Parts: sequence; structure tokens; C-alpha cells
Amino acid sequence: MDDIGAFLVAYQTTIGTIGINALLALSVWLTLYTGQLTLGNAAFAGIAAYSSALLTLKAGLPFPLALAAGAMLAAAVSVPLGATVFRLRGVYLAIATLAFGEVVRVAILAIPITGRGQGLVGIPPKTELWHVFASLVVIAYVCARLRSSSVGRAWAAIREDEVAAASQGIPVRRYQLVAFVLGALIAGWAGGLAAHFDYAIQPDEFGFARAVQILVFAVVGGIPNVFGPILGALLFTALPAILQPLQEYRDIFQGAILVLVIVFLPRGLVTVFELRRTARLRTMGAEDVA
Amino acid sequence: MADQIYNAIFIGSIYALFALGFTLVFSVLDILNLAHPALFTLGAFTALFAMQQGVPAALAVVVAFVVCGIAGVALDRVAFAPLRARGAPPLSAMISSIGVALIITRLIQFAYGPDFQSYPAGSLPAAVYSLAGVELDTLRSVIIACAIGLMLALTYLVRRTRLGRELRALAENPRAARLLGIDVDRAIAATFFLSAGLGGVAGVLYGFATNSPFSQMGLAFELKAFAVMIVGGMGSIPGAVLGAYLLAFGEIASLAVLPSELRDAFAYGLLFIVLLVRPAGVLGRRPPDRV
Amino acid sequence: MNKSILGVLGALALTIAACAGATTNGGASGSPAATTAAKPDIKVGAVLSLTGVGNVYGPTQRNGLQLAVDAINAAGGANGAKLQLIVEDDQSTTDGGITAFKKLTAQDRVTVIFGPTLSNTAVAADPVAQSAQTPVIAISNTGDGIVGKCDYGPCDYIFRVSLGESAAIPQTVKTVKAKLNIKSVVLMYAQDDKFSSDGFAIFKKNLTSAGITIKKEIAFSKNDVDLSGPVTQALAEDPDAIVDSSLAGPAIKVLQEVNRRKPGLPVIGGNGFNTPAIAKSAGAAAEGAISGAAWYLGNPSAENKAFVSAYKAKFNADPDQFAAQAYSAVYVYLDAVKRTPNPTSVLHDKLRDQLALTTGVSTPLGEVSFNASHDVSQQVYVVQIKNGQFTPIN
Repeated sequence: MDDIGAFLVAYQTTIGTIGINALLALSVWLTLYTGQLTLGNAAFAGIAAYSSALLTLKAGLPFPLALAAGAMLAAAVSVPLGATVFRLRGVYLAIATLAFGEVVRVAILAIPITGRGQGLVGIPPKTELWHVFASLVVIAYVCARLRSSSVGRAWAAIREDEVAAASQGIPVRRYQLVAFVLGALIAGWAGGLAAHFDYAIQPDEFGFARAVQILVFAVVGGIPNVFGPILGALLFTALPAILQPLQEYRDIFQGAILVLVIVFLPRGLVTVFELRRTARLRTMGAEDVA
Repeated sequence: MADQIYNAIFIGSIYALFALGFTLVFSVLDILNLAHPALFTLGAFTALFAMQQGVPAALAVVVAFVVCGIAGVALDRVAFAPLRARGAPPLSAMISSIGVALIITRLIQFAYGPDFQSYPAGSLPAAVYSLAGVELDTLRSVIIACAIGLMLALTYLVRRTRLGRELRALAENPRAARLLGIDVDRAIAATFFLSAGLGGVAGVLYGFATNSPFSQMGLAFELKAFAVMIVGGMGSIPGAVLGAYLLAFGEIASLAVLPSELRDAFAYGLLFIVLLVRPAGVLGRRPPDRV
Repeated sequence: MNKSILGVLGALALTIAACAGATTNGGASGSPAATTAAKPDIKVGAVLSLTGVGNVYGPTQRNGLQLAVDAINAAGGANGAKLQLIVEDDQSTTDGGITAFKKLTAQDRVTVIFGPTLSNTAVAADPVAQSAQTPVIAISNTGDGIVGKCDYGPCDYIFRVSLGESAAIPQTVKTVKAKLNIKSVVLMYAQDDKFSSDGFAIFKKNLTSAGITIKKEIAFSKNDVDLSGPVTQALAEDPDAIVDSSLAGPAIKVLQEVNRRKPGLPVIGGNGFNTPAIAKSAGAAAEGAISGAAWYLGNPSAENKAFVSAYKAKFNADPDQFAAQAYSAVYVYLDAVKRTPNPTSVLHDKLRDQLALTTGVSTPLGEVSFNASHDVSQQVYVVQIKNGQFTPIN
């Protein structure tokens, strides 16, 4: 047990990061499930990370309250943002949320209280592994239930064909907004957890690169069910640790995995457990839709 | 003031060169090719390699164009064509391109390391001259001229040649294009050859300007390219050019008006406003309402 | 299917968390050191950025460490015991750094950790070593808050061999004021990079207290593709010099632009200037650039000459400051270890105490001591690029 104990202590951070990344991937999954490509969730995580950290650091707020406040703030910001950008589609929506992310990053750099380019340091390390995994289990469960409920079916309908869904009486904008705001809430919760996991945060951690990273977790993991994004987050976060002896080639492996999965497992890595279903869909020419 | 105008023209030219290739692939194939920055970097390093073997700078640019063009075609074969064959959504292609970018960048790092490199001493013009009271330099003037030349050449190609007509048909409706007898595969290969070649040339010229090519040099342009495309008009070649110069002039102008910390906010704030007010951009004609 | 797999997931998560919780104390229950005829190896660890954005610095640091360890072992080791170097890659991320620190302290039980490469990683990972009571010798962190007074609490196990900017910059400012009679500057800096923002604050403080007027502060982004705009704006203020707090990439661009518009105007920088890449890329434009350094290649001291030729022989390239600081850190450690009874013991408080007493160790950096804040005390070389080489001017 001592060796296992030492192993767990050493990789505690990686395990925690897997959990946080899984939460972020789930937040993106929600919007992808409704057919929206958004790149703003890293920024929502950043907003919540900074606000919750400042609340515990400067205002001495208890950890759970600060987490909740951060997540709520992210969700609150997402409402007007979502309302404004949903008239855009596809790539335009993605770029608009990307632009939003950049504006957030610049704001963090400009506001003195965030520590600006020097980052925010000395954050009390309150996040424990059980916080992360309890959150993950609860949120994954909620997402899974939503998916198999009428809300989830509406989302899937919107994803397939927005016009057809609208003609069936589904209030498209409202359902999209719900997914978007829920995604922001989850991303914010994850951001708050992340801020209190590492003693310090930097604006760079929540920028374009991070947004792309969590998008990759979700898409490569797979959209059909909630295990997809979790699997994607697990694989890519653990990859550096797994590839330790080959770390010089890590980027090459990561790149190759991305291309191979997208080309050969179109609905994501998680579909490797349901290859027969994919083959059946392929005969219908529908293998890229969940 | 004249100094700053010259600076803006130079920066705009570099943005435009980068964005041209990026926009070309997007307009014809709806793909956001996130491997474009890696091809940009590949161009700079191909030229470096050539010049280290004694090839003169001007010829090295041509070498970079060809090598990157071929790399672009290969990229399509490996990462995009299989997706196209089964009608995958553009998001898949974007993710696939991220994977290829990682690989290309890492390979460049294996060859040259992650640190800044420099072109062989004396291989680049270093003269400075005065024009109407403004200090100009040969190197950047040549780069501006090349950029404008390439933009004109590409516009001519798209507007006046048969290949250009084929590309425009392909952009409008791939299925109809095939029905009309257009060799779609050849047209797509040409698209990637041109796009990657232009990206590579942009990389060389930028590498020359800074004399400090390094494996991650494309990253800084990636985000700017989005802003350029949107502001100027998605999928429009002249739009990309216009967007590039608008962005560059805006960034320079904001130095005088905004506190310097907020300069980036200008670019992305502008981008955001354009998307909301006129998503098609200044020159765009493509309807942004496609799902 | 949904519910049962979720159940398994939950159970698994709780199991992992429980085990981790039970062993959060750093696993300090080690076995006693074996007493055999040959002395056991002394394990030394290093956490370096070998991949990721910091990988410009990591590899030469590893070279410096390896060179020193090999030389020490060839000369008989530390009181007869050989040093065993274990290098971990932190991928330039804080998570990677924390994981590497935990692995080195909990699994490998090293006696010291050299690194991590980046200051961002240090502020997150050093607390791990502090609570594991393992000394850390920083070899490239130059910001504030690394040693002495740390934001996370007591940090008496953390030491630093890399010259802090708060020690180098005052010397730089003093020298340029005295030698070049600088009275006014424009202060430019990369605002989205921790090193550069830290440097900006230190420059601002020291320029002001030296009575030098800062005519304008111009922020730019480390990702700006071209800096001709900000530099033109800076030159419009007609300063005696431009101060640029940034890493090498932006510095090259600033030097190039200044050389186009106002050749000969002094450009002053921090530790970001101390890399040969600047002279190679900026060429003639780099001539005259001034910075404060912990080391320079041409230092004619016997220590440095031996180091440079050994490095060249083994790695076929000139060493850089990162390699020199890494190399010197190992000798500082050696000096302390020789004075520590039973260095491979589980507790390292005696090693820490001996490190704190480090005085006048001869290294390629010069004579190195630790002050009361466990920070390096050494000669600051204010260097200027002349004919492509760093040459001291103080």
C-alpha cells in the first residue's frame, strides 16, 4: 500500500486535473450536443477562477460559497453573450465566442486586482480530489439524465436540423441558451476548482489554446454520450504521464491520435465500444451524427 | 505619423499574406485549416535550410513556395480527403488539422530546436533609405511589394482563369461542380497547393523581416487570421486583404487613442462588433446563416 | 447501462480519493539508509521544461547539470558517494511541475531538487518540496516571491542560485546612469508574460529612485507580430534610452526597429536579453544592447574557462547562462553536502542548514554565497553586446 500511496501522492495533481478537464469537456459537450460550436468555455472558467480565488483570498469567503459565486458569475455573463451571438451559425458562432474569450483575457491583463501579467498567487489550496470527483459524478449524472430526457431529445433535434425542429414547435433559441448557460455554469465550477488546486493562476491558462484543448477532449472523446468527453479528457491529460519515456515524441503521438481518431472513429473514441452501431450507421451514411 | 502609416502597411501586408491562404481553403472547402500556421513556419524553415546550402534568398522563397505547396496537398490527402469522402462536418476537419499541426511543428523542432534561428549573415538586404522624410528599409519594402504582388496574382487567378472559375464553382456547390464536369479532386489539390504555398511564402518573408524564425512562430498569427477573415468578409479574397489592412491600421491607430494595455482588446472588440452588426464582414457576400 | 456504469465510476472515484487522502502527508515513512561497504548513491533530482514553451531553456540546463554531476563523480563524488541525477520533464505546466516534484520527493526521495525552469511553475511546485522538507535550488527563476518571503507561507527549504532581477536590475540602472548619463527613458514591456511584467515593476521602481524620468510606459503583447508601432511611439518621446522588459523574441524586434529609426540609441533590458540568439538574429542592430547578467561567456576566470571548454567538448556548442547557472548550482550543493553528516538520511533539515551557510563557493558565475533570504549573492555583470559578444561595462 505504501508504494501505491506514493504513486497516488505523486500523481495526485494529474488525477485532479483529469477530473477538472473532464468537467470542462462536459461543459463543451453540452453545447456541441445542441449543434453549437463554442470556444468560450475556457474564458468562463477563467472568469470563475479569478472571481472565486479573489473571494477566498481577499474577502475570506468560505470555499464552497466562493466556488458557487464564481460559477454563477460565469453563468450570468453567458446569458447576454448567448442571447447576442446565437443569431450566428457554425464557424461564425465559434469565432464570436473566441473573440469574447480574448476580450476576457485582455480584461484580466488590464485589471490590477487580478495581478495582471504576473498572475494571482498565494491562492489557498482548498480543492481536494474528492471535491473534483464528487462534482464530476454529479454533473455527469445530471448531463446523462438531461440527454435522455425530452430536453435532450430537443437538443438532438436542433442539432440535426434547426429549421425542422423549429417547425415542430421547439423553441430553438431558448433550448440553445439553456445548453450554453449550463455549459458556462459547469465550466465556471471547474474553473473555481482549478484555481484552488494549484496555488496560482495566470491569464494564459484560460485562453485560446485551452479552449481548443477542451474542444479536442470533447470531440475526440465523442459526442454520443457523457462518457465521450470524460474519456477524451482522461486520455489526453494522462497521455504525458503515460508517455513519460517517450516524452520527446509526445506531440507527435498526440497529433497522430487526433488524426487517426477523427478519420477512423468519426463519432469519437467512446464509440470504440459500439463499433457495430457505427458500422450500421455507416451503411446509412450517417456515421458523423450522433 | 508617416512612420506609423508605413508600419501599418507592413503589418497589414504580413497579415494579408497569412490570411490569403487561410481564407482560400475556407472559401472553397469550408475548412478552418488550423495547420496553416505550421505550414507558415515550414516555409520559413525550408528557406532557412535552402539558404544554409547556399541558395540565394529570392530563390529560397520560390523553393519554400513549392515545398509548402506540396506539403499542403499531402496534408489534404492524409487529414481532409478521407473526411470529405464520407461527408464529415467541417469541425472534424478542423480537429484533424490540429493534429497535423502538432506533428509538423514538432518535426521542425527536431530539426532545428525550439530556439530562434537566423538566416545566414549577409544573405538579406539591410539598406535603409529615406522617402519623403520617412525612414524606410529595403527589406520591408520588398516584402510589402511581394505581398501586394501575390495578392494581385491570386485575385487574377481567381477572377480570370479557368482554374479560378473552377474554384469558385466548387465554393458555391461541390456537387454541381462535379456534375458540370469539373475535376474536383484536381481543383481541391490546386487549392491546397496555392493556400499552403502562399502560407509558406508568408512565413519566409516574415522570417526574413524578423530574422528570428522559430518553431512556434505561426501561433501569433492564428488568432489574428480569424479577426482578418471576419472583419474583411468570410470567404472573400479581397475581403481578407481589406480585413488585414483594416486590422493593422486599427491596431496602430489604437496606440494613439487607447492605453497600450488594451490594444488587443481593440482587435477582438472590433471583431465582436462586426460579427454582431454585419457578420458577412465588409466585403463578404456569403450568407452567414448556413447551419 | 447508464446507472450502473455511473455507479462504478463513483465508486472508483471515491476509492482513489480515499487512498489519496490517506497518503496526503508526502509518504515520508522511508526505510533507513543501507550501510554497506560502498557508500550509497546520493540522489539529486531536477525538474526542467524539456517540452512545452519552456523547452528553449530546459535542455541546456540539463546539459549543465549533467556536466557537473559527471565531473564530480569522476573526481570521487561527495565524500566518496556518487551523485545520481534524476531529471523529470514538467512540460512547462504547473501541473507537470507539481507532479514531478511529488514524484521526486515521494517516490525517488531525492535530497535536493534543481529547478523548475519557469517561475510560474516554481510558485506552484515549490510548496510541495517545502512541505516534503526537501531543499530546492532554483537555477533559472528570477522573479520575486521565489525565496525569502513566499506567498504560500514559510519557504526556508527553497534556495536560489539564479540571480534575481531585483538584484540585477538596480545594478544595471546604476551603471547606465553613471556610464551613459541617461536622464530619461521610455519603458516598454510585454504585459502578458510573467517574467516581463515582474521585470517592468522592478525597472520602474529602480528608474524612479535613481531619478531617471520615465517619459512613457508602453505595454505590448508577447505575441505581437511586429513592434514597429510601439517603438515608433516610444521614439517620438525622444528619450535618452529605451528600456525593454521582455523575453528575447520581442527584444529582437525592438532592437531591429530602433536600429532602423535611431541607430545608436541605447536599449536596456533584463535577463531576457541574456541569450546569444539576440546577437545572432538582430546582428548589427544588437550592438550596444545593455543588460544585467549573472554570467557571460567571455569571463576569463579559471573556473569559467574550464567550464566553457568542458561544455564545448561534450556538447559541441557554447554554453549559455542557463547551463552555467545549473552547473554552478550543483557545485554549491556539493559544497553543502560535504559538510552534511549522513546526507542520504530521510530528513533533510541538516542539508538545508548547511546550504544556508554557503559562502564563497567558486563557480563559473564567480564567488557564490547565499544571503539570509536564501538568495544568491554574487557579482552582477552589467554587459553590453560588442561585436556580437557580451562584454562587461561595470
